[in-house]
Amino acid sequence: MQSAVIHLQESETHDESEPHTCGGETGVVCPKDPGPILPEMKELYWGGGSFIVLAVLMRFVLFPKVKKGMDARYNGIRDAHESADAERSAARAEVAEYEAQLAGVKAEAARLVEAARTSLEAERQAKLAAVNAAIGERRAAAMAQVEAAKLAARDQIAAAVGDVAGRAGELATGRRPSAKVVERVVSEVMAR
Amino acid sequence: MEALARLVAAAEPVITADDQKAAAAASSAGFAYGLAAIGPGIGIGYLVGKSVEAMARQPEAAGMVRTTMFLGIAFTEALALIGFVVFILIGL
Amino acid sequence: MIAESFKFPEINSILRWKDIFETFNKIALIAVAATVISMLIFILAGAKDASKAPKGVRNLAETSVEFIENGIVMQTMGKDGLGWTPFLLSLFLFIYLCNVPGIIPFLQMPATARMAIPMFLAVVVWVIYMGVGFKHQGIKYLTHTIWPPGVPTALKPLVGVIELISNYFVRPFSLTVRLFANMLAGHILLVTFALLTSSLVTAETKVWMLKPMAILPFFMLVFLTAFEVLVAFLQAYIFTILTAVYIGGSAHPEH
Repeated sequence: MQSAVIHLQESETHDESEPHTCGGETGVVCPKDPGPILPEMKELYWGGGSFIVLAVLMRFVLFPKVKKGMDARYNGIRDAHESADAERSAARAEVAEYEAQLAGVKAEAARLVEAARTSLEAERQAKLAAVNAAIGERRAAAMAQVEAAKLAARDQIAAAVGDVAGRAGELATGRRPSAKVVERVVSEVMAR
Repeated sequence: MEALARLVAAAEPVITADDQKAAAAASSAGFAYGLAAIGPGIGIGYLVGKSVEAMARQPEAAGMVRTTMFLGIAFTEALALIGFVVFILIGL
Repeated sequence: MIAESFKFPEINSILRWKDIFETFNKIALIAVAATVISMLIFILAGAKDASKAPKGVRNLAETSVEFIENGIVMQTMGKDGLGWTPFLLSLFLFIYLCNVPGIIPFLQMPATARMAIPMFLAVVVWVIYMGVGFKHQGIKYLTHTIWPPGVPTALKPLVGVIELISNYFVRPFSLTVRLFANMLAGHILLVTFALLTSSLVTAETKVWMLKPMAILPFFMLVFLTAFEVLVAFLQAYIFTILTAVYIGGSAHPEH
């Protein structure tokens, strides 16, 4: 009896102290467990070693290469931007120049139009003056003719009147008055 | 008779001092983590709330606020995590 | 009892794996794979024509470089810190690629959920920021870290003790624990819900309702897997940005 009880207790304690299985795989006996938060030496070596390798390679080989490419591309992009800016400003300058030329041409055209208008006006004035002059000339000629005709008519009238007056005097007196007297009298009468 | 008494004693579950210690550890581990989570919980909530307020007020400073917020969360959270480690240490 | 009770496995059995050979186990395999993958990415990227628009591997490499430069270095150290980009880049890639196997099927183990790698990285970072501090400020670095500029004399003993502990001991400790505990917690959560799902599906029970209920922990498992994608990235980012902050702080104490 006694030995059986002891055996039971022994088996219980044995159960508790049985080594743990690793990763749930039964039958595999782990070396002594270091506890859940103690670092394990092989993990430390491998993890630390691989990190050091990565950091050193990254510092001296891998990163500079990628970074150089990135910088080169960024510089390229920046240069392209700058050249595009330069081209844009050049195009702006050309546009400004063209606009200046356009303004010059417009001014020239306006000047020409103005000149044509003034010359046209002058010509018109000249023609008008010429026409006016011709009209005045003709009117003067007509006036002169009329004056001449009037003078001629007056002379004829004076002659006729003198003739009539001389005849009348001859008839009245029997003697013909002198032409000079008659002429004087007639001009006196006609001037009245 | 003595043998029978021993048999009865053996059949009853034996509660050793180690078992008692383990039970006490298991229950206190839960308390340890629960208590450790209260402060950081409040702290992180307050921190993030204030950060959101700051970002809403000044959206242009959002990047800086976010970085600082993560730093603050990291510092605050460490307390809860130390509680968690204690939980692992004494509980499991 | 309606079903056999759910028993969580012993913690070591979900963290420790069978050695592949005597001095090489799964964690070491993941760490080596992380190095090899990041090296491959950059070797392939370097071999491509750099003048064209980047695509594929080169795009990946350039995106990560720009993320480190604009998202981490410029935000914390400014232009002076750009020389640290390769180190921070390898740190980020290594941690990220060690975190990600936690959600890759059949690997299912983040290498950073074991203490070794986070501790090693934190010690490396500690050595580097101490070295940078001594290089930039000489022996004054000690007094600067213990008494930041502008501390009144009366407070110097108190501030000195706090800053000493915080700078030299708490920083590497919290770096280690943050990464390690986050990944370990994520791993344990995934294990919990996976076990819950499988034990519900395979439960020998007369209550038929129990088996379809397995969909609930399964949904949680899917959600947590998606969450772990975020955590894997975020922890790598936080470790890297804290490293940048520490290095920047030792180089220029006034910031």
